[in-house]
Amino acid sequence: MVKLTIDGKLIEARKGTTILEAASQNGIRIPTLCYHESLSPVGSCRLCTVEIIENGKSGLTASCTYPVADGIEVKTGSERAVEARKLALELLLAQRPHSEKINELARELGVRSSGINLETKECILCELCVRACREIVGVEAITFMAQGLNRDIDEPKVMHSLEKCIGCDSCAYICPTNAITVEDVGDTRTINTPGGKMEFKLKKCQVCGKYWAPEKQLDYIIKTNNLEPDIFNTCPDCRD
Amino acid sequence: MNKVVFSSWADSIIDNRGLEADKYKDAENLGIPLEYDKHQIKAFMSWNGVVLADGSVNIIDMLNAYIKEVARLSCGQCSVGYLGIKAIKAILGKITGGAGAESDVQSLKRLAANVKENTRCDFCASAVTPVLDTINYFSDEFDKLITGKGSIPQSSYVTRVTAPCMAACPAHQDIPGYIELIKNHRYEDALNLIRETNCLPGVTGRACVAFCEAKCVRSDIDSPLAIRALKRFPADYETNGGIEAAREKGKGGGAKVAVIGAGPAGLAASYNLARMGYKVTIYDEQSSGGGMALVGIPSYRLPKNVLDNEVDIIKNLGIEIKYNIRIGRDITLKELNAEGYRAIFIASGAHLDRESDVEDWGKGYEGVMEGVEFLRGVNLGQKVAPRDKVIIIGGGNVAVDCARTCVRLGFKDVTIVYRRSRAEMPGRKEEISAAEQEGVKLQFLAVPRKVLARGNSVVGAECIRMELGEPDASGRRRPLPVSGSEFVIEADMVISAIGEMPDLSGLTGGSCVNISKQGTIEVDDYSMQTGEPGVFSGGDCVTGPATLVEAVAAGNKAAKNIDEYIKSGSCKPSDMDKLATVLNGIELGEQRGMSVIAQRQRQSPPELKMADRMRDFSEAEQCFTPGAVAQEAGRCLRCYRVMVVAQT
Repeated sequence: MVKLTIDGKLIEARKGTTILEAASQNGIRIPTLCYHESLSPVGSCRLCTVEIIENGKSGLTASCTYPVADGIEVKTGSERAVEARKLALELLLAQRPHSEKINELARELGVRSSGINLETKECILCELCVRACREIVGVEAITFMAQGLNRDIDEPKVMHSLEKCIGCDSCAYICPTNAITVEDVGDTRTINTPGGKMEFKLKKCQVCGKYWAPEKQLDYIIKTNNLEPDIFNTCPDCRD
Repeated sequence: MNKVVFSSWADSIIDNRGLEADKYKDAENLGIPLEYDKHQIKAFMSWNGVVLADGSVNIIDMLNAYIKEVARLSCGQCSVGYLGIKAIKAILGKITGGAGAESDVQSLKRLAANVKENTRCDFCASAVTPVLDTINYFSDEFDKLITGKGSIPQSSYVTRVTAPCMAACPAHQDIPGYIELIKNHRYEDALNLIRETNCLPGVTGRACVAFCEAKCVRSDIDSPLAIRALKRFPADYETNGGIEAAREKGKGGGAKVAVIGAGPAGLAASYNLARMGYKVTIYDEQSSGGGMALVGIPSYRLPKNVLDNEVDIIKNLGIEIKYNIRIGRDITLKELNAEGYRAIFIASGAHLDRESDVEDWGKGYEGVMEGVEFLRGVNLGQKVAPRDKVIIIGGGNVAVDCARTCVRLGFKDVTIVYRRSRAEMPGRKEEISAAEQEGVKLQFLAVPRKVLARGNSVVGAECIRMELGEPDASGRRRPLPVSGSEFVIEADMVISAIGEMPDLSGLTGGSCVNISKQGTIEVDDYSMQTGEPGVFSGGDCVTGPATLVEAVAAGNKAAKNIDEYIKSGSCKPSDMDKLATVLNGIELGEQRGMSVIAQRQRQSPPELKMADRMRDFSEAEQCFTPGAVAQEAGRCLRCYRVMVVAQT
């Protein structure tokens, strides 16, 4: 076990736990946006930033990616940490002013408006969709396209591959800013992404006639689980 | 003497503003060049501060130009870094455009302070330093611009981007770039990026000495990135069918170029020339490609199929490789020249063992071998029966490769005899410790003096103990014999691996290609041209025995120079080349006010168990697993250094 203090409270946490997890296990709330307990943390939104003092050196860090260590002192509510969080949120708010989730966080952090001018974008590059597709769905249809030296892109973005995508809509479900949305009309599912629309044919239930899931997703489940090819001819509602 | 108006470089503040030029405080140890060739560097801006040598440069206009470059490199994987730099860029654009307000400077300060200490990696955090410095030390310039409400004319600046790892690599590979692509699972893009500067990713991903790792900024935090092993991952991913194998074809249409030697330098030159459209023919003495990588690197470090695969990819660009032809034996350089090649690149390597001065060495005793000759035999499939005891003379990589090869051949007792101590051994540390783990013995401070034989067979060597004296020209302490300390080591095989040199016999005869006293080909430092017009040379045959990656870098550079020579009749360094050369002297590793970075353990690729390793020539080190490769790539701090220069 590792011993550290968070907001003056002496805490024991298992080695390998992150500061965010240790805080949460002890009832200390730290705001998050790009964090999801089922996905690997990346530290992209910088909203869970805390102040830490380690070996006499003080600094800011994202608590979702920083592992607990013996003797470190964590301050989740210091002026420095709160200011850093507010600025991160103001930047996100400037980019995506109408997101319900971001406005909710703004209220929590006491940020009324952002004085920062940025071109608005739907996607805040939090990578939740990328990670969900890779780590939960196991498909890797979404790629993060980062900027770099001599790269031929105008801006960083996430990109869906229609070829790999199975239309499961996990990305739309997890997207905190509705940059990805899904719509089922008749026999077609449309997934709207910042990079464009993707359409998927839906499977019709042989019993009730309802279009209930993308054919590509069902084929993927059959293939990866070695199921009978006709198992999804009926929808879950019409099965015993 | 360095005279600057202002400098905040490396946090050492020099401020001569308001002083007469003759009263300027000296900036002797500035660490930033202020002139090169015919140019004066008027101002310099980068991750570690701002240097103003000529007060006429508008520092805010320069900052605006600088931040635009930084914004293009900000990856986008964290809000504060990417959006913060974007917001700073927008405000600076507004201020330099004459529309700034007083509150803008406050906003800039707040944004920059946050970018400095709350980003995911190190790039934006370090890159923002000049913004903070300009706000702190040039607030009156901001005031003037904001209250005056006039926009400032935009000047032009020169930009160069490097990183500690990139600068350390002879081929200047975009290491943070391909690591980021690996992190984001873009293996094909990573491989394409690597191939831009290194056509042998699978080979160097296994056998490179990794100068880059020695300069990794992570070394000061926990341990350097496993860059070499990271590079191997996308290469193996391609070989294993994860992505379609590279099938690039050369553009074609260009002039004919001949390359002598299908080693790393020759392959790299050919690869680049073919991509530019040249019709390349390679001549090689062996029956397959790779040069020293083929005959010198044992297959437990570099399996032959990996090398063959990469030679094939290069060849498939449309290159013809004529094997089993030795220039100077089967065809002369003059005859080659008459075949209509517009340029010839000699990259024949250093395949000759340095002559041993051990007494009776040349008597032709059975069991006396030279290191490179021994490795070449084993690598080309010669059967070597194991013996009881072998001693290997030397402390370099060839000696260590010979020793580990003997272990795998089943030799019972393998001893390296080195005349200096462990600290002076030029061989790679990892290889030496792997050899020891495999049971190789190291005998330091001793040197064989005489070969001992019974009949025609070697039975050992008479040695003498050494002690270390004053440092010699190489900076290492010179070994001196201890008189009366002679002793005998019994052995039924003795291998001398005391260095290699080019084998240029017959190669340059009748040409104006000059050979130095050291037995290497003489070339012009920049153009790599020999004394013979249109004949270039590079790699080990010019430098003497060096590394894979240095040979690749030489091949890359030769291709660029040959292209220029064919197009314009000469090749001279451009201003940008000259600037790059002086900027290369800047210490890239140091950094002001590094933010808190969590320690993360270096991942190691899996290794074959010791027992399995010593049985045969199976590859000792395996490829990273996908999980470990992502973790390791995620440790990269992306220490790009954007340098913006104002110059005359």
